[in-house]
Amino acid sequence: MKRWARRIPMSKCRFEELIDGYLLNKLDSEEAERFEEHFFNCSRCFSRLQEREALIQAIKAQGPALVQGIEPSRPKVLSWAEDVWTKLALRPWILAPAAAALFLVVVLIFQPFTKEKMPTFVLNGDNVIRGQAVSLISPIIDVSTPPLFFEWKKQGENIEYKISVYNSQLLWTATTRETRIQIPEEIRQKMVPGERYSWQVKAYAANGVLIAVSSRVQFMIKPQQ
Amino acid sequence: MSKQFSSQELEEIIRRYRPVVGFSVKKALGPNYPDWEDVVQDVLTQVITKLQTGEFRGECSLGTFIYTITKRRIVDCIRQKSKVKVEMTEVATSASGPEESLMKKERAELVSRALFKLKPKFREILYLYYYKELSREEVAARLGLSERQVSERLYYAQKVLSKVLRRFFPEKNSNFSSERRLKE
Repeated sequence: MKRWARRIPMSKCRFEELIDGYLLNKLDSEEAERFEEHFFNCSRCFSRLQEREALIQAIKAQGPALVQGIEPSRPKVLSWAEDVWTKLALRPWILAPAAAALFLVVVLIFQPFTKEKMPTFVLNGDNVIRGQAVSLISPIIDVSTPPLFFEWKKQGENIEYKISVYNSQLLWTATTRETRIQIPEEIRQKMVPGERYSWQVKAYAANGVLIAVSSRVQFMIKPQQ
Repeated sequence: MSKQFSSQELEEIIRRYRPVVGFSVKKALGPNYPDWEDVVQDVLTQVITKLQTGEFRGECSLGTFIYTITKRRIVDCIRQKSKVKVEMTEVATSASGPEESLMKKERAELVSRALFKLKPKFREILYLYYYKELSREEVAARLGLSERQVSERLYYAQKVLSKVLRRFFPEKNSNFSSERRLKE
């Protein structure tokens, strides 16, 4: 195909960026000549050039009337939101992926509420509740001497913890706002080597509502050699 | 190898290039140049003669060929203009037909209506960029915006106004019949 018979591409032409510069006489003579030669060959650019010239003529005709009564400063947040809207209006194709991304975010946010993620706990044999888990720290494995302290992970602010230690039955129970408690010596004395013990922590909110329970962890005091 | 153009092909070429040559001449000589339409006619006559006598051999594009003739004629005019400058400034507007001025008037009204429909933040950028002829950097500094924001607002305003203007300046398809036949 001969050069002068080529078709004009439909996508944006790189010369379009020179239109303003050409019309406002901001191009150097070489650039201006290159652009002129181009619009003799590109009807799309020529059409845009005519459009822009008409626009500039209209703006020049209006002059300062165009900005009469405009407040110079606007709230930044509003201006930011408007700019986002401008960006979207300029690129409508962004809307589809943006909507998909928004949908994904919404799904991810609400997913935890839609799934029954909370574990269930057995409280007193047949009393089963569903709630958050309190993680126990120690003792969780067999120990060589009766433990001095029981320790668990913090559940939140203003929480009251109730610890219960069992052998075959409830051995000791106490409440605290700390995440660690010292076992009274008289109870510790009752804990003997070779026996199995278990313990559990329940967390209560300030209004007395049970909000979290730990699993019931067993440990044994190893028999002395 | 030169190509013989039929009268129909020549007519189509003239129809397509008259506005382009006209634009170029007006831009170079100024819209108040009294005989710009004669200059355009002169260029187009030269184009037809050269095409008929086989001076156009397809070594460059037809557009470039016509551009070269236009450019040469404009340079001649500028040389003459400096000699008769005084007489020319006396004449005000060019003699465009009543139909054309009516269309121009309608177009101007539509554009200015569309301009005032734009939000102030777009209008102030158009004003500073096109009326005050500030650069994008200068507009950004003046309004406390980033250059990118200025470009985006400018582009948005151009896009909106372009919708109003497009019907007045339809893009002429390059594959008009004479060119299509000339491809062979």
